[in-house]
Amino acid sequence: MKKILFIILFISPFLLKAQCNQTLVDIAVKDLKGAASYLKDFKVRLKAQEPRKQQPVAKFSITLSKGQSYRFNVAADKGLPGQPIIQLYDGNKLQGSSFFKGKDYKSFDFPCTKTGQYLVFITFNEGKEGCAAGVLSVLK
Amino acid sequence: MIFKRLRIFALTLLTAGFFACSESGENKTDAPKESLFDDQQLEIPQETMEQLIDNVSSPIEMAALIKKAGISFSKDYVSNPDKVDNLNTSFEQALRLGILGSDLGYLNMYDKTGMVINYISAIKSLADNLKVGQFFDFQTLKKLATNSTNLDSLMYLSVSSFNQMDNYLRENKRTNISALMVTGVWIEGLFLATQVVKSNPNVNIAERIGDQKNMLNNIIIILGNFKNDKNFTSLVTDLNELKEAYKDVKISIEQGEPEQVEENGRLVIKQNSKSVVEITDEQLKNIIQVTAKIRNKLVQ
Repeated sequence: MKKILFIILFISPFLLKAQCNQTLVDIAVKDLKGAASYLKDFKVRLKAQEPRKQQPVAKFSITLSKGQSYRFNVAADKGLPGQPIIQLYDGNKLQGSSFFKGKDYKSFDFPCTKTGQYLVFITFNEGKEGCAAGVLSVLK
Repeated sequence: MIFKRLRIFALTLLTAGFFACSESGENKTDAPKESLFDDQQLEIPQETMEQLIDNVSSPIEMAALIKKAGISFSKDYVSNPDKVDNLNTSFEQALRLGILGSDLGYLNMYDKTGMVINYISAIKSLADNLKVGQFFDFQTLKKLATNSTNLDSLMYLSVSSFNQMDNYLRENKRTNISALMVTGVWIEGLFLATQVVKSNPNVNIAERIGDQKNMLNNIIIILGNFKNDKNFTSLVTDLNELKEAYKDVKISIEQGEPEQVEENGRLVIKQNSKSVVEITDEQLKNIIQVTAKIRNKLVQ
């Protein structure tokens, strides 16, 4: 029994890791249902953090262009407790978040009116461990 | 007996886990010994370089804007995918890879699957020469191009392959190749937009062309990091001519407060800030001319 437990504990991280990859990007792209064309993805895996400590965050720099409407959506590994939250910043100014008025959205649209560099932040609710893939696409 | 079987099972999983963890490990190939395959001492930190490269726009964004403007497709705007085997240096190959990637985005955007095969064949050949061919799934792309009902998958796999090649190059300290690839994508996107606006005057496309002023500056910074190579120096000299053409284009920002709203069940961010581009007909004409000169030199 101990041996079985050892095997499960030892191999489970590899199994979790195996799910935290391109498959999630494929799921997020499938969710676009042809409404938008894929541009790039942001793969994120973050460990759990204690509640009162600063929550871990993954940051990605992107350029968005005026006149283009973008969609940000996210797919998460359901084997982990963290629900992903995707946020868009222009410098240090928050433009919007997939967590809005107490509700989790899987995506948001951003009709861009200002060309420039932006930052995409991905975190997991309450600093829980999570694995996710965010996808940036351009609406057709 | 059961423990023996479990040990074999565990070993198999551990081996599989090891390869799953080293995500691109199975795709690694030794690059040929050539100066372009190793980053020299960079003046700009690697992280800054990567951020600059990350911010160069995707191969399909310009094409998406052109299609959105209702402008019809023209094969005159794309480069010739033949004779890529004549390109001898990795400098030429990487630039052409980017150019063809941008063309592929344009073809895909307009569902020109009949023309796609020649482009993906040329891209595969260049990618193999640069030792990144393992990220370009030629057979699947060919299948998707032949079966034209699967256009979204074709577009996704094409762009995703380019992203993976680019990531791999940077992870393996071949930022110079990555820099050339994104420069090729960018210059071809600009060429496409300038050729379109020449025969189809359009305010939004003209504004997007003007908008490229900042991107051009970033590309010159990226390429300038490899100034020890005379090919890079020559390319930067050409791009500086384009920078001169952009000199009097003005870009200003009007700040506003963003807001979030729910529209038809979808979450939408209203930015309320805007960038304003001032570009005269004369400036645009000059940019069109210099862009064509640089791009045509690259595809000779």
